[in-house]
Amino acid sequence: MSGQGLTGLSSWSRRLVAVGVLAWCLITAFPLYWVVVTAFKTPPGVVGGPTYIPFVDFTPTLQPFIDLYQGIRGEFFRTFLNSTIVGLSAAAIATAIGAMAAYALVRFEFRVRFGAGLIFFLLALGGYLLFNNSLGFTRPQALLLAFPFALAAAIVANRLPLPGPILGNEDILFWFVSQRMFPPIVTAFALYLLYSEIGRLGFQLIDSFVGLTLCYVAFSLPIVVWLMRDFFEAIPIEVEEAAMVDNVPSWRIFLGIVVPMSMNGLLATFMITLAFVWNEFLFALFLTNSKWQTLPILVAGQNSQRGDEWWAISAAALVAIIPMMIMAGLLSRMMRSGLLLGAIK
Amino acid sequence: MMRNDPIKHVFIWPAVLVVLAISIFPLIYSFTTSFLSYRLIPPIPPRVVWFGNYATLLQEPRFWNAIVTTTLIAFIAVGLQYVIGFGVALALNARIPGERLFRVALLLPMLLAPVAVALVARMIFNPTMGPLNQFLSMFGLANLPFLTNGHWALACIIAVEIWQWTPFIILMMLAGLQTLPEDVYEAAELENASAWQQFWGITFPMMLPISAAVVFIRLIESYKIMDTVFVMTGGGPGVDTETLTLFAYQEGFKKFNLGYTSALSFLFLIAITIIGVTYLALLRPHLEKRR
Repeated sequence: MSGQGLTGLSSWSRRLVAVGVLAWCLITAFPLYWVVVTAFKTPPGVVGGPTYIPFVDFTPTLQPFIDLYQGIRGEFFRTFLNSTIVGLSAAAIATAIGAMAAYALVRFEFRVRFGAGLIFFLLALGGYLLFNNSLGFTRPQALLLAFPFALAAAIVANRLPLPGPILGNEDILFWFVSQRMFPPIVTAFALYLLYSEIGRLGFQLIDSFVGLTLCYVAFSLPIVVWLMRDFFEAIPIEVEEAAMVDNVPSWRIFLGIVVPMSMNGLLATFMITLAFVWNEFLFALFLTNSKWQTLPILVAGQNSQRGDEWWAISAAALVAIIPMMIMAGLLSRMMRSGLLLGAIK
Repeated sequence: MMRNDPIKHVFIWPAVLVVLAISIFPLIYSFTTSFLSYRLIPPIPPRVVWFGNYATLLQEPRFWNAIVTTTLIAFIAVGLQYVIGFGVALALNARIPGERLFRVALLLPMLLAPVAVALVARMIFNPTMGPLNQFLSMFGLANLPFLTNGHWALACIIAVEIWQWTPFIILMMLAGLQTLPEDVYEAAELENASAWQQFWGITFPMMLPISAAVVFIRLIESYKIMDTVFVMTGGGPGVDTETLTLFAYQEGFKKFNLGYTSALSFLFLIAITIIGVTYLALLRPHLEKRR
């Protein structure tokens, strides 16, 4: 890892490049600096034109944060707590079951018949229409009935010698990752309708911990499976083979050997997932309304409620940003150890 | 070596079930709804209109406007992100002075909530009290209509996108650059190839697969843009900066026109698929040539 690509440059051009990178760093840093200083401003420090340096340009105050804590501009404390709870649990669950799936895809062989997949989709669609239109079930009831029915039929069909291609592990991985290509609005809106109809059956999912976490877990899984597969592939298989000779069951190999060996990867994946859930806006907008509102929704709301109260807006934005700033520091330390290299092979 | 042990089903099924449940349910639901005329407010019983919703949408100028806006934002922003990101990654890889300090700072923006970033951008782009206005006033360009003129607003949104997502490209390209073999450069050095020749002859072609993947990811993600626009302009002025997701949100959540919104989200899905497939088809010959 030497100075590739720039080795032929003179010292003058090297300096020019350094200046360019420095300029980009300043562009990156300025808005962050701006939001930090603005959060400590008093109203006169804002309306009198831009001010930059605390104690010289303006007198800093903690008032915006005290207002935030006291809940003058929305229930910040509880929303912060919501975001933390939902973020931590969704990231933990997604990392756990995603890592399991990734491990299975790396070490075990799967064969899914294309025909079985097709049968699943057609039966789910057909069953839904049948239950809903002809048998008089409501739409969520019809979906919930058609789903296990189609799944069971597909699993049976997978054992039959159907014509058509057979899909392997790579295809299953592709199916997971391709879920990320979906415009989330397709799912968010349908999920909102589905959740509210399930709510009418008596099981509250809109504006609930379960509903929001479930949705975030599903949407983090593609990234988790993708990242974790690379980490698991990098682990030498010899250790596992040695354990298998001693007849150690697979689940103990996974928990006792593989998980400790890929702790760094699991941690990095967990943090990336946490960042994704923490910042997520669209699903929270559709699926929450008051009790389980998350931070991005409240922060976005500051805009319309308080036109020019920049000190309040900045403090609100800062509350949403600071946890991620800490994470950036942690992640960059991991990045330096070459941890994320594997992720993009 | 692949093992075959029944326990593999315990490992993979939880993830498959969750993803199936959360993606297939809504897919079937909105697919069937897209052929209905179905409103919640005012409540009208569903009526089958087949492709009626799709036909209405394709004749709707606001839909085409949203497509053009989203495409402009995605392509311009990702193009500039790639150029800046690749440049900075090259520079960081060449061990310029102070490179370690830069890394933390460069990683930050992409981890921050887009809504918070958009709020900060609103302050910076404020035409009277913002710091950017003060800076430009020094050059005699006072009180520009940053967020109130359609073209300016679009440019501002693109600028924020670039600010936030260039770090992702830097991160990925840097990781890619570090995997390049050194001996090729040593050979080029012996041939007295200039830095410029080395870049176009070695670095760029060798980085093409990673570049293709990174640009692909960013393009797809950019097409989903919503939070930044929602906070910065709300789609305004008028509908000048309205993106596809925002349009769908307005139709669905404000008017509760379910059939129409479902049809819209399916057209969106089709559009993304077309763009993705075209992109991969265009790049395939370049990627395979090197193998």
